[in-house]
Amino acid sequence: MLLRKLRKITAFQAVLTSCLTALAVFMSLPIIFIINHAFKPQNELFLFPPRFFVQSPTFRNFESLILHASNATVPFTRYLFNSIIIAVLTLGCVILVSTMAGYVLAKYRFHFKGLIMSMITLSLMFAPETVGIPRYLIISGIGINDTYFGHILPALASPVAVFMLVGFISQIPSELLEAAKIDGASHLGIFARIVLPLSVPAVATISILTFQGVWGDVETSTLFMQEETMRTLAFYVNSLLSGLQNSVAGQNMAAAAGLLMFLPNLIIFLLFQKRVLETMVHSGIK
Amino acid sequence: MGSITFSHVYKHYKGESRPAVDDFHLSIEEGEFLVLVGPSGCGKSTTLRMLAGLEEITKGDLYIDGKFVNYTSPKDRDIAMVFQNYALYPNLSVYENIALGLKLRKTAKHDIELRVNRVAKILEISHLLERKPSQLSGGQKQRVALGRAIAREPQVFLMDEPLSNLDAKLRAQTRAELIKLQGELKRTMVYVTHDQVEAMTMGTRIVVMKDGVIQQVAPPRKLYDQPANMFVAGFIGSPQMNFLEGNIIRQEGRYYFSNSRLKLPVSEQQYDQFEQSARTLRNIIMGVRPEYVQLREDDGSEPDDGFVRGFVEMSEMTGSDAYVYVKIGEKTVIARSDPETVYTKEQKLLVGFNMNKVHFFDEQTGVSLAAGGDER
Repeated sequence: MLLRKLRKITAFQAVLTSCLTALAVFMSLPIIFIINHAFKPQNELFLFPPRFFVQSPTFRNFESLILHASNATVPFTRYLFNSIIIAVLTLGCVILVSTMAGYVLAKYRFHFKGLIMSMITLSLMFAPETVGIPRYLIISGIGINDTYFGHILPALASPVAVFMLVGFISQIPSELLEAAKIDGASHLGIFARIVLPLSVPAVATISILTFQGVWGDVETSTLFMQEETMRTLAFYVNSLLSGLQNSVAGQNMAAAAGLLMFLPNLIIFLLFQKRVLETMVHSGIK
Repeated sequence: MGSITFSHVYKHYKGESRPAVDDFHLSIEEGEFLVLVGPSGCGKSTTLRMLAGLEEITKGDLYIDGKFVNYTSPKDRDIAMVFQNYALYPNLSVYENIALGLKLRKTAKHDIELRVNRVAKILEISHLLERKPSQLSGGQKQRVALGRAIAREPQVFLMDEPLSNLDAKLRAQTRAELIKLQGELKRTMVYVTHDQVEAMTMGTRIVVMKDGVIQQVAPPRKLYDQPANMFVAGFIGSPQMNFLEGNIIRQEGRYYFSNSRLKLPVSEQQYDQFEQSARTLRNIIMGVRPEYVQLREDDGSEPDDGFVRGFVEMSEMTGSDAYVYVKIGEKTVIARSDPETVYTKEQKLLVGFNMNKVHFFDEQTGVSLAAGGDER
């Protein structure tokens, strides 16, 4: 059985498979390194030549990171809490806003639809730096500095997400929505029962993108937050690392923080990647 | 319950010069199986979608059960629709697909279960209830879509080419089942198709449409025997009706259809249409169906009255019938013949027409000279 399977493999397939496997191993090296590095005791961190794998793993690095407080005496856990709250809320809000906007833009006819679509496309072209100042003016203008909302609002209108969802939702056959209409579903009912479940692959993709953006974002903390208690983990890690420069003392914390920043991204990716791969072909519409 | 009235209904899409549906005026009785048939783009689907409430009515009134429903939303019209591509919700199981309409109408849970199971039993899909639509074959999807419509027990069923995605064998089978089902449910059905065989076999009354305009409304037999115009005559029946150009001439009190090649005595039963008709009898088209064209071997002698010489261009065997394409001058006439008889190419034949069964049309307007085929 195995032999027969082996015989079917052509030379091209064999070369391709081994090349891709080698590439995959190479690409995963940094990930393995980050994980190992975070558990290395101080002496191993500075070992020369450096070792890839940890010899005697320890949680000391995390301990000192969690117990360490910033200059403003805000504990590490406050930053973590802020980041989690902001990431969850932003993710939820972005999904809701983008799917609703995507549905309406893809399936409804109304005035100025073309104009709105081209404005969304246009906003895709702006680099985030160019909108920094207008954003600040808006945030301070409506007085949401030092609130969670100040973190969430700038990320809320995501042109990339809307753009992706418009493309995705317009592939859902209109008959499906019409069938639901005849079955007695309201506009919200059609959205919640049909459109949202069918958009899961696209939603998964924008979830990964949005989460990565929000989790690693330092801009909102730097620009819009004056209170240290309202800043995020990314900001904290960033300032921790830049404060360390080349000093020896904090390297263990930096290693632990590195893993902590990376881990949620990995988890989110692993959770959603299967969904991302699910295309309309598999969803059985046709 | 379930009667429908279209009162001079128009559908005009923005930016198009011609209305998609032009003065659709028709009453559909309760329990009727009405078929809308026509080539693609003739407005039949638009008409159905207006009836469903998926498309706005530009002008005219629509009544269901005597109630004015122009502005009633689809869910309040007490209708169910089966779509061409079934439109099953891919994220829901078969059971949920059938149950959704009931659930949204706040039917009690045990009642939903009862109805879904009953419908599943009728359609023989009980074993599929747990599956997702992607795990079903085309025929099974079709049944589920039908089940979803039936479970709601609506007054009116709307079907938009529901069989066109099935293979030929399954289509014939489902066609028969639909007819049976309609007989059992005794509900009004409005069925859209481009397939004239489906229309003829299923409809109690057929509406033939072209370019948004109703061409004729009649029961199948009448549609076949008394087409109102050349379009209907050509559209219904396969192979198509033969059309011959010529004039009606009168000699010694008898009428003849004649052109440069033939002179055929018109049957006396058909005289009144010429006498009543105010139209000139020039430029007349004679239509004759392939089954009323007779073929006889050419023995070389002078042909009898009503027969004309021709030769075989080609012949098609369908199994139960054979269709012989006979060239008469420049014109090709299709004749149905006994499949046992073998015709060779270029074989000389005498062609005759059953003059009791021919139709006469005005060449300019295409309208039949005989009146009375329409039953709106």
